Amino acid sequence: MKPSSFNYHAPTRVEEATALLAEHGDGAKVLAGGQSLVPMLSLRLASFEHLVDLNKVEGLSAIERVNGHLRVGAIVRQAVAEHSADVAASVPLLSKALPHIGHFQIRNRGTVGGSIAHADPASELPAVALALDATIEAAGPGGTRKIAAADFFVSTWQTALADDEILSAVEFPVWGPGSGFAVEELTRRHGDFALAGAVVGVQVSGDTVTKATIGLFGVGPTPLRASAAEAALLSGADAAEAGKVAASHISPVDDIHASGAYRTQVTAVIVRRAIEAALKEARS
Amino acid sequence: MASTISAGRYVGQAVKRLEDPRLLSGHGRYVDDVQLPGMLHVAFVRSNVARGTIVSIDTSAALALPGVRAIYTGADLNPRVGMFWHTMMGPPPELGGQTPYAPLTPLAGGDVRFVGDPIVLIIAENRYIAEDAADLVEVEIDVQQAIVGWETAIDTDQRVHPGTTTNVGQEFPLPEGPEVDALFAGAPHVFTRRFSQCRATNVPMEPRGIIVHYDQYVGDLQIWAATQSVSEWKATSSRLTGVPEHRVKVVANDVGGGFGQKMMMTRDEAAVVMAAHLFGEAPIKWTEDRRESLMAANQGREEIIDVTFAVTDEGVLLGAKVFFWEDIGAYPASAGSTAGMAGAVFPGPYKFPVVLPGGSSVYTNTVGKAAYRGPWMMETVAREQMMDHIAYELGIDPIEIRRRNVIHADDLPYTTCTTMVYESVTPSETLEQALEMLDVAAFRTMQADARAEGRLLGLGVAIYIEPSAVAFGILSSDQAIMRMDNSGKVIVAMSTGNHGQSLETTIPQIVAEHLGCNIEDVLLVQGNTESSPTGPGTGGSRSAVVAGGAAMTAALKMKDKIVQIAAHMLEASPDDMEVTAGVVSVKGTPAKALPFAMIAPIAYQMPEMLPPGMEMGLEVTARFQPAGQYTWSNATHVCTVEIDPETGMTKILRYIVSEDCGRMVNPMVVEGQIAGGVVQGIGGVLFENMIYDEDGNPLATTFLDYLIPTAPEVPDIEVGHIVTLAPGQTGFKGMGEGGAIAAPPCLANAIHDALRHLGVHPTAFPLGPSQLLTMMNEAKQA
Repeated sequence: MKPSSFNYHAPTRVEEATALLAEHGDGAKVLAGGQSLVPMLSLRLASFEHLVDLNKVEGLSAIERVNGHLRVGAIVRQAVAEHSADVAASVPLLSKALPHIGHFQIRNRGTVGGSIAHADPASELPAVALALDATIEAAGPGGTRKIAAADFFVSTWQTALADDEILSAVEFPVWGPGSGFAVEELTRRHGDFALAGAVVGVQVSGDTVTKATIGLFGVGPTPLRASAAEAALLSGADAAEAGKVAASHISPVDDIHASGAYRTQVTAVIVRRAIEAALKEARS
Repeated sequence: MASTISAGRYVGQAVKRLEDPRLLSGHGRYVDDVQLPGMLHVAFVRSNVARGTIVSIDTSAALALPGVRAIYTGADLNPRVGMFWHTMMGPPPELGGQTPYAPLTPLAGGDVRFVGDPIVLIIAENRYIAEDAADLVEVEIDVQQAIVGWETAIDTDQRVHPGTTTNVGQEFPLPEGPEVDALFAGAPHVFTRRFSQCRATNVPMEPRGIIVHYDQYVGDLQIWAATQSVSEWKATSSRLTGVPEHRVKVVANDVGGGFGQKMMMTRDEAAVVMAAHLFGEAPIKWTEDRRESLMAANQGREEIIDVTFAVTDEGVLLGAKVFFWEDIGAYPASAGSTAGMAGAVFPGPYKFPVVLPGGSSVYTNTVGKAAYRGPWMMETVAREQMMDHIAYELGIDPIEIRRRNVIHADDLPYTTCTTMVYESVTPSETLEQALEMLDVAAFRTMQADARAEGRLLGLGVAIYIEPSAVAFGILSSDQAIMRMDNSGKVIVAMSTGNHGQSLETTIPQIVAEHLGCNIEDVLLVQGNTESSPTGPGTGGSRSAVVAGGAAMTAALKMKDKIVQIAAHMLEASPDDMEVTAGVVSVKGTPAKALPFAMIAPIAYQMPEMLPPGMEMGLEVTARFQPAGQYTWSNATHVCTVEIDPETGMTKILRYIVSEDCGRMVNPMVVEGQIAGGVVQGIGGVLFENMIYDEDGNPLATTFLDYLIPTAPEVPDIEVGHIVTLAPGQTGFKGMGEGGAIAAPPCLANAIHDALRHLGVHPTAFPLGPSQLLTMMNEAKQA
């Protein structure tokens, strides 16, 4: 379990990092917290001639309010975001999702941007970004562009980032009063990737649900939006009905931990539970 | 001798572990911590297919890589092997023994037989280069359909080991005959079930590892290894290489767990020994990485058990037939079935009039079977689940059916139908203690209330009797070589190993107790063939019984000599002396006293002051052989669970163990051993599944997929003790494996109890959420 040899680059400016990526093309890989990449290198499941380490790049580790959004820099550690009062106040769903990632040692190193850029379909943060309609900021040699989360996750571990781009920040919308959020996931053990997971945000006015978002993870090749279930919820369906609608639109595959049929069946359950918890919070 | 047994100054006390400051601060010295001048590093090229013929091996590109020093294939190493068999198992039939072995070669010969089969051994200046070189070796294999699964292996005309006539390693036929037929035909009730447990692997925290240096000029073969038994490694290495055994030196420093996997040298380690012997120039180190450990280190547990019980209307046992199927993979530590042992101990805590066992071990194109903590434990897995299945069939409470069959104190001594003799066991007492700790009535009320809300709670019980310190062959005895040095401190050398049993603490406890000195004045030296005697090492729940017995006997001999010297000097009778805290004094006259620190120099330097005729020095040896072939300990496990009816997730609410391991050397260590075993048992039911696909590809080769329980999944484990002394001198009973033996059926029975009213009756592990929800769905549809 020793990686094959690679050239290690530790740029300090975004332009330097993107120039290195442009120079080395798909022979280069961005290193952030290393919690997914390093094991893959050590198992020789992946090898790259060049690693471009973002950890020393300036300007990527801020958490700030910008234009009604919360902007989280690419290499903000998951543990920092988890314990940030700003995150808890502005984007509670992100706050609630973070403790589900691995173990605290992993979150001490892992980054918010790295998890989203890695685009593991069983991870929490890509589903949060998708559910909240976050905007991914991509920096390349020609400057930065913004990508809607809905367009960002292409397939398993594949994103809309070009070879010469880095994810430089993620902007999460801030919801108004009357909102509630919940994360429900089933894992074999504490800290494992989810067999099935759901992130839910709702906003209510009296008894009426005025806004609803449901993101699913671990049940498809990318994080999924349960749009039909959201629509059902907005049309007055209860949590159980919405859960069934969400489950009826997915076709997860089997692996050694659970069958696809299992994942489908429990998705209805966890979506229901997450909606109930989010509604409870919204109404409290 | 029972009168000498009582909780003492050390024995019976929860003395904190003397090894912990070193280990817990990260300063243990494992194989990979050993750095030698000029040391080179080994990596293997392993098969990525389960079965096939090797067409060609091209090592030229790898050899050309700078830093690569040597590359060996099976053609280089295998013909040089003298003999490859294990002292503990005895020689194979062709060498006059009785043990069936798989055809063991260090590296794959003309074909590969499982994914992970070592084909090429690379020696390089560091592990990175060695792995780079491994990537450059080109092996062409003509792939054949793998033989996966014991039923396939029995049915096919293809052979795991080409040239052999059967895939069966060893078979014990089930006794047949008209008496057997009559017994079952005449019984009021006969029930049959098939139970199975999935494959698990031992997962030592430190994987395998070995450093070998053959100094061709001196003629010594020096080995540092992660092994449970340095004596076994020494003898095996000598047989492999032809280096005379007295020129082989083996050291095991700290070893990060074994659980049976490190009892006997495996092919990979043998390949390193052979390569070092051939290479000759420098020490070579192989540190198994985690992926290799999960993919290629021997594994355990894949067993299928067919059980038929005959019982009365009241659930009283009339007899049982049991047949054990074992998938032993391609290269097990021995091809022998453990059915002989499992059958012998199958009656366990119950009064069976008759038990008829049989078994068959079957080769497949998978990793070979290792001993794994309670290697015969499939008997308890089957028996204890069967008791619940029968109880439900007959409408009897599972606790009540146990009470009707369990052995009571007034049955002792009790000889089982399989001729095992119990003199000192307490299955009934531990059952009652464990149930009292739980408060069964309160739980049943809680269970009923929960069920009314649609929640699923369950209670499981399992009782077992553990055949500890199995005494046959080299396992029959161990020796203590005890020396008191010139300053009055004690060094005791033993064949034992340090892979988590706390012997560095418990052996000094025994010595200090019986010699009458302070524990800090006793040092255990183990895991070193230069200083330690030939013996079995540590495994099979034996060290407290056998090594502890030797240490106690040696301490008493040493004490006797010290007392004689002191009595002579103080002009008193030896019978009037007492020894406390390293001081010998005349009873009732504390002023007339001599500390060990004064006695020892006299023994070594002043022959004129010794009793006439006494040999100088303070050195004793004692070899201890336990009274019986087994030293029986026992326990009852009780647990409660809640299962989420919508997801199949199991949460363990309480886990209780009541045990009797005789006189406890250190209750903290006993409870730690129980907890560790229970955790492994929980893993085997809920989490761990070393599964292969139909082509023989292992599907759990990282900790992402091979799930061992972690702290949040493990409940507090509550332990109650019942103490009855083992027959014989020491009173100690072994208990290292029991936690892992009883936990699987106990947990399975709790799950069964939670789900049985839904029509769910599990018989196969794993019982993960996916399996439980599927069974609940099917029961609902039925």
